[in-house]
Amino acid sequence: MMLFPQAPSHRAFRVWVRHLVYYRSFYLAEWAGNLGEHILWLVAFGYGLGRLVPNLDGISYAQFIGPGLMVSVAMWNATYESTYGAYSRMRIQNIYESMLMAPLTVGDIVLGDLLWCASRALIGSTLMLVVLSLFGLVGSLWAVAILPILFIEAVMFAALGLIATSLAHSFSFFNFYFSAIVMPMFFFAGTLFPIKGLPIWVERLSEALPLTHAVRISRGLFIYGHVENFIWHFSFLLGFTFLFLTVACVLVSRRMVE
Amino acid sequence: MPGFVIDAQSIEKSFGTLKAVDGVSLQVKPGECFGILGPNGAGKTTTIKMLHGAVESDAGSLRVLGRDVATQSRLIRAQMGIVSQEDTLDRDLTVYENLWVYAGFFSISKKASLTRIEYLLDFMQLREKWDSQIKTLSGGMKRRLHIARALIHEPKFLILDEPTTGLDPQARHLVWQRLRELKAQGLTILLTTHYMEEAAQMCDRIGIMDGGKFLVEGPPQTLVQEKVGDEVYELKGGASIEFLDSLQDLSVTTEIVADILYLYSRNGMGIMEHLISRGRKDFLRRPATLEDLFLKLTGRELRD
Repeated sequence: MMLFPQAPSHRAFRVWVRHLVYYRSFYLAEWAGNLGEHILWLVAFGYGLGRLVPNLDGISYAQFIGPGLMVSVAMWNATYESTYGAYSRMRIQNIYESMLMAPLTVGDIVLGDLLWCASRALIGSTLMLVVLSLFGLVGSLWAVAILPILFIEAVMFAALGLIATSLAHSFSFFNFYFSAIVMPMFFFAGTLFPIKGLPIWVERLSEALPLTHAVRISRGLFIYGHVENFIWHFSFLLGFTFLFLTVACVLVSRRMVE
Repeated sequence: MPGFVIDAQSIEKSFGTLKAVDGVSLQVKPGECFGILGPNGAGKTTTIKMLHGAVESDAGSLRVLGRDVATQSRLIRAQMGIVSQEDTLDRDLTVYENLWVYAGFFSISKKASLTRIEYLLDFMQLREKWDSQIKTLSGGMKRRLHIARALIHEPKFLILDEPTTGLDPQARHLVWQRLRELKAQGLTILLTTHYMEEAAQMCDRIGIMDGGKFLVEGPPQTLVQEKVGDEVYELKGGASIEFLDSLQDLSVTTEIVADILYLYSRNGMGIMEHLISRGRKDFLRRPATLEDLFLKLTGRELRD
């Protein structure tokens, strides 16, 4: 308490509840939108573009991108909620400020927000899982095991998004964040095409991207039911989650307490 | 004897080169109502934000409800209600949801919060707005909801930053009336306002702030009497040097603002007779007010 007056606690749950209360007013529209978008991606890329792509390691192109799309959906959802959503809560609607007038700490607010972003991302990914199984693209029941891992991945990307939010001075900053960080992450994590065989520096860059490790885990579980080097990929995700979480707490504190 | 609700000793805060709060000391006892008056930019809001830890002090010591704000602001906030100047209601939620969610931040059970919400919405005359969206509320309703939210956990101490600014007279009177009721119930209150008359009526003590420090501090009536006097005479149309000289035998202080001559008197004896004998019948005679004191101390030039 004395050393870390802004440390998170169980009260983060109350922040999460606030977001859930708001979510109840629009969730059906969001689910319909999510489902439509997932099907569109799968049809356009998996089957449209997929017709031109030969089998990769014995699997079809749709089978290849399905697990990648799962983890990308989690990233995109967590990122939107922690940038546009959190910026609005922090800077436009003064919701963080009102929480800091109640007995909550910056840590409670940050953790509550991240858990919320991850919850929303998890819902989006679960809908994707439903779509993938309807299209017969889930090769192993182990695919379900991706969900808790996705939750951690989503907390990580939400924390990264919150770092961007605490540095932003307007919504337009997020254009930069999306084109400089999120888009390259999406393309160079082996989501839509294999990284192996590309120039060595691209391979090395890809290895350093957190999303790459989530994609590896996801693809392993979906297609083969097991993941090579699971501990390594999982530790990579976990490490970056704690790093981003800590930095987000510090930066949001700086922004909220003068 | 219980300690002070606020015990601030020479607190300071700078933003870059601007010294927003420059050595403020303040002690408020339980059950007391203290009003901070001051022109815009005097440091009132910064002082208030320091009390709940939203602004950290650079120097001095600050204890609220017996605890150190620097290290225990969360525990202080658990017993304190805050009504900020800017709108911080949750526009994504309804009136009821706003209060219910906020009660959760204080770890109040669902059942207990429901009873409390019903009571507060009645108290603030918002019962019929239970299910309304925030954007459909008038300015007065939003302010009342703000106050209701600050009272959700039955705080020992309430802070209000300009609670009636921007409200129409009806809404303003309702808010002041409710605040007087809360004070009568024994709640300790600290507020800032630009409404001198209400502050003089409601506050046990006021402090006039400018340039980040208190210029004077004490019970409003006593301060007005000591620093201004009992009565003020306002004469329109200016005054000749000869007329001003004639006032020197009377115990008055004078001030000329544009075309009005103000005479501040301490015992009023002989002034009216003197004015009538000089043929000046166009004067207004009224009791000295807090506003006279405020303008005397902070000057008449515009601040923003």
